[in-house]
Amino acid sequence: MEFLIATGIGAMTAAGIYLMLRRRTFPVILGLSLLSYAVNLFLVSSGRIAINQPPVIQAGVSEYTDPLPQALVLTAIVIGFAMTAFVLVLAVKARTETGSDDVDGGA
Amino acid sequence: MLTAALNIAIAAVLLAMLLSLWRLLRGPAPEDRVLALDTLYINTIALVLMLSIRFDSRLYFEAALLIAMTGFVGTIALAKYLLRGNLMD
Amino acid sequence: MSLLLIALLPFLCIPLPLLAVHYGRTACAWVTALGPAIALALLLGSAPTVFGGETVTVAWSWLPVLGLELAFVLDGYSLLFAALILGIGLLIILYARYYLSESDPMGRFYAMLLAFMGAMLGIVLSNNLILMVIFWELTSISSFLLIGYWRHLAEARQGARMALTITGAGGLCLLAGVLLLGEIVGSYELTTVLDSGELIRAHPLYELTLVLILLGAFTKSAQVPFHFWLPHAMAAPTPVSAYLHSATMVKAGVFLLARLFPALAGSDLWFFLVSGVGLATLVFGAYGALFKDDLKGLLAYSTISHLGLITLLFGLGTPAGAVAGVFHIINHATFKASLFMSAGIIDHEAGTRDIRRLGGLRHKMPHTMWLATIAAASMAGVPLLNGFISKEMFFAEVVVESERLGAAGWLLPAVATLGGLLSAAYSIRFVHDVFFGDSRESLPKEPHEPPRYMRVPVEVLIGICVAVGVAPALVIGPVLDVAMAGVLRGEVPYYSLALWHGFKLPLFMSVIALGGGLLLYLWRDRAEALHERVFPAITGKGTFEAVLAGAVALSRGITRAFDNGSVQRNLAWLLTAAIVLGGYGLWTGGYSVGDAHQTPAPWAAFGIWAMLLAAMTALVVLHRNRLIALILVGVAGLLSAVTFIYISAPDLALTQLSVEVVSVILLLMALRLLPEHTPRESSAGRRLRDGALAVLGGGGVAAAAYAVMTQPFTTISDYHLVNSVPGGGGSNVVNVILVDFRGFDTFGEITVLGIAAACVFALLAQGASATESAHRESNHPLMLLVGSRVMLPMMVAVALYIFLRGHNLPGGGFIAGLVATVALVTQYMASGIHWSERRFTGSYFPVIGWGLLIAGATGVVSWLFGAPFLTSAYTYVDWPVLGHFEIASAMAFDLGVFLTVVGAVVLMLANLGKQPAHGDKEESSWSS
Repeated sequence: MEFLIATGIGAMTAAGIYLMLRRRTFPVILGLSLLSYAVNLFLVSSGRIAINQPPVIQAGVSEYTDPLPQALVLTAIVIGFAMTAFVLVLAVKARTETGSDDVDGGA
Repeated sequence: MLTAALNIAIAAVLLAMLLSLWRLLRGPAPEDRVLALDTLYINTIALVLMLSIRFDSRLYFEAALLIAMTGFVGTIALAKYLLRGNLMD
Repeated sequence: MSLLLIALLPFLCIPLPLLAVHYGRTACAWVTALGPAIALALLLGSAPTVFGGETVTVAWSWLPVLGLELAFVLDGYSLLFAALILGIGLLIILYARYYLSESDPMGRFYAMLLAFMGAMLGIVLSNNLILMVIFWELTSISSFLLIGYWRHLAEARQGARMALTITGAGGLCLLAGVLLLGEIVGSYELTTVLDSGELIRAHPLYELTLVLILLGAFTKSAQVPFHFWLPHAMAAPTPVSAYLHSATMVKAGVFLLARLFPALAGSDLWFFLVSGVGLATLVFGAYGALFKDDLKGLLAYSTISHLGLITLLFGLGTPAGAVAGVFHIINHATFKASLFMSAGIIDHEAGTRDIRRLGGLRHKMPHTMWLATIAAASMAGVPLLNGFISKEMFFAEVVVESERLGAAGWLLPAVATLGGLLSAAYSIRFVHDVFFGDSRESLPKEPHEPPRYMRVPVEVLIGICVAVGVAPALVIGPVLDVAMAGVLRGEVPYYSLALWHGFKLPLFMSVIALGGGLLLYLWRDRAEALHERVFPAITGKGTFEAVLAGAVALSRGITRAFDNGSVQRNLAWLLTAAIVLGGYGLWTGGYSVGDAHQTPAPWAAFGIWAMLLAAMTALVVLHRNRLIALILVGVAGLLSAVTFIYISAPDLALTQLSVEVVSVILLLMALRLLPEHTPRESSAGRRLRDGALAVLGGGGVAAAAYAVMTQPFTTISDYHLVNSVPGGGGSNVVNVILVDFRGFDTFGEITVLGIAAACVFALLAQGASATESAHRESNHPLMLLVGSRVMLPMMVAVALYIFLRGHNLPGGGFIAGLVATVALVTQYMASGIHWSERRFTGSYFPVIGWGLLIAGATGVVSWLFGAPFLTSAYTYVDWPVLGHFEIASAMAFDLGVFLTVVGAVVLMLANLGKQPAHGDKEESSWSS
């Protein structure tokens, strides 16, 4: 399971990096989103993988997965959305102002 | 008995998901892809519910509920985009 | 306690002038004067205690780990300085009332003046060295604002920038020096440091510490070679110059020299550095003043010269020298402030302050003439005025100390006399060229006496000059005694404030200085011709700007080498650096996979994994069709939500799912305004490079993740798991962490969310209009319209349900907020913006505001119960229908989170939805 998750994170990171290195705003933003998915998964899994041990206290249950990374990632997801929204709006604005969505600086 | 049935069901749903993904990737029309995504969502609901049965836990039911809801809204958004281009007019 | 009030009153009063300016200029001045007047009264109230030999201190711990305390001390020396700052500050407030014109924003001026005054008071009253540096930098910043007050003038902006750069850089040196000093002594408390002089001077770091602190003092006090910012600061309004360059800003440097005198002075290094720099500055400034044609320029250079004199006196390192230095600080503050004000009056009434254009004003402005003449005479050192007495003391000290220089002993008195001579010459020039000689016809204004009250501050100061000059022992003796007790922290040496010391060398030097000054003034034409031949036009300003331009060019070159405006290039550098560093760590640290956690994988997991890999591969291949790319990113989101479910993170799955759908909506709306296709434009080499970076980066992250997951680890979460129910009253530990254990973080996070929404709104504010959609009002797909309206209550119910259970079961404010957002946005999509805004609300800012307010208020309420910010409480109640029910204060906090999320996200989506599309968007024509 660990191997599957690690490689899944790797695949999302790789695709995210590749998209981030494109010349247009939209793929860059998609790449950024993917990268944040990968990072979120990484953070959660740094609390180690536990199956069916959600951190919800129940009578008679003593094994719980680590709740701390989850709390971290929960806000990270929301903030990640806010960041995506902001960058998207920047991209839209840049297109309106310059007529182009090129972010390669013409170089 | 239940385990075996559950396994078969999970396998079937996974297969359905793979096929949906295949359609999503193949297309050819954008409408095909949107429909494939919607189906993928619906299959995921089934997968989550069966996982909950296997885990014998109710904590995941809301996730299924939310997948149903967000899948529906996501499909609306994509459909509206294809139809009008503008989501909020 | 009143000491704290004295120090903070000017800061507290900053808003007053800004508010009062609407009630007229006089009211504004009165209100501004209120704070400093109260502070001065409190200060004088404490004076008897200090004169009784006591030292008043107050202290509050601020950042104990760093040794930072909010600590103030009132001894004789800080009392003297605080009284100067407040007293002259009050006079300046009165003067500025008449100086500023109708068009100058007076409220802003007074507010900045108060800020500066507070910062100066802070410096002189601080009993903690770090605190002192903080106030020190505050004076740099507030003086920057004051000097650049007339921001439409390029030279004002330039002068302000120069002052900030020089004094700010000096402040950084001072900070470094103070930190070293604190390390040496082991305490940042001023009084402790002052009592550790022996220890400091014997320490191996003494030299470095001394040089750093002196750099701070010299830059502030405009000593050579850092003097050049001061003349350029003359672009400030004259009240600012009068304040900054008589009693405050530049005096901060010499204040520090005297303050740290017991700790640092007494070594040879101190003697040579401080007195050497002081001597050079004394002569250089006086010489420069002689040839300035601008009245304020002349005074600026004369200020530099007198600061050099004071520095020289402290540099001698003897208690008697320090006495003379402190005495001259007082005298210089009074006569220089009145001279600046006179120059301002002349400028104000005659329309120019160019000495070559002025002349014969004695007929038009007789009062001003008398005032300026007395002040200038004091500056020149004419008997019966205060300047004479401190200059006599200066000469006497120099004569005594000249023995230390051995054979070169004559040098010190000779150069001192030269300084005095030049000082007399420019003083005579100031008076004679302006008030005597022929009247000029070509002045911009017809000169006349200023308003009555504009002269009052000058008259007060001149009164002090004369009083001290005539009866020094009576007027200033006790003050100087108690101030010196503060400076020297012990016995004050014998010194004489008498007017007449007999026919001794100092008197002889005075006579030479005054007579020579007169001669030099008469021969000024020849001196000027010589000056122009000898000195090429190398100015401090030119050097400063060349250095600055060089630094900018260098930074620009470095930046250009890495960043040519291309995001790609930037990111490639960033990723390469990350990969290289990570690889280096792997190479040197070794890579080890643990076997602590190897969870068996069901084959279903392989299925999900295969789908993810397929989707990612397809994404890279098909990404140029943006809709497909978007859908595939959505698939990745869905699959990670499933993964979250499987690895026991139901809260995250719920969050991921609801964020996913709003992201898709957002991306689709942005896609409408962007091209639908990404053209193929990267070269094959570029794609290869990017692919390599992607594979290396992804592989590295995968390897790191695998290594992390398989290592054994200990968590700090046991505390949270154990205390969640008893402490936080909730069994969903993730939610309890969010709203309780780490509630403050969450508060910060929702604030960021609100800010992001405001930024999105601001970016889209122009051009956002829903007009184009008005005609489509009735043209919404009927099925969707009806269906969505049926869905709305159900979705809202889901949101409420998830919200209410969130404390105990997966859910909570974030998720509920997102679900509610989805419910609202569905209506926006189905029925249009107009319909929705009419029914919901036109502005979501109040929603965000209420959310933040509720969340913040929950935290504040816990203060009322004496608990720290955001401490939660809970109780159980039995409700008639609902049964046994828990009420936690964290619920209110979660409500704040909920409202903020709803407001922020809907605000972002609705505003993007309102954007009109461009005409250049190609018609729908996509296929794989």
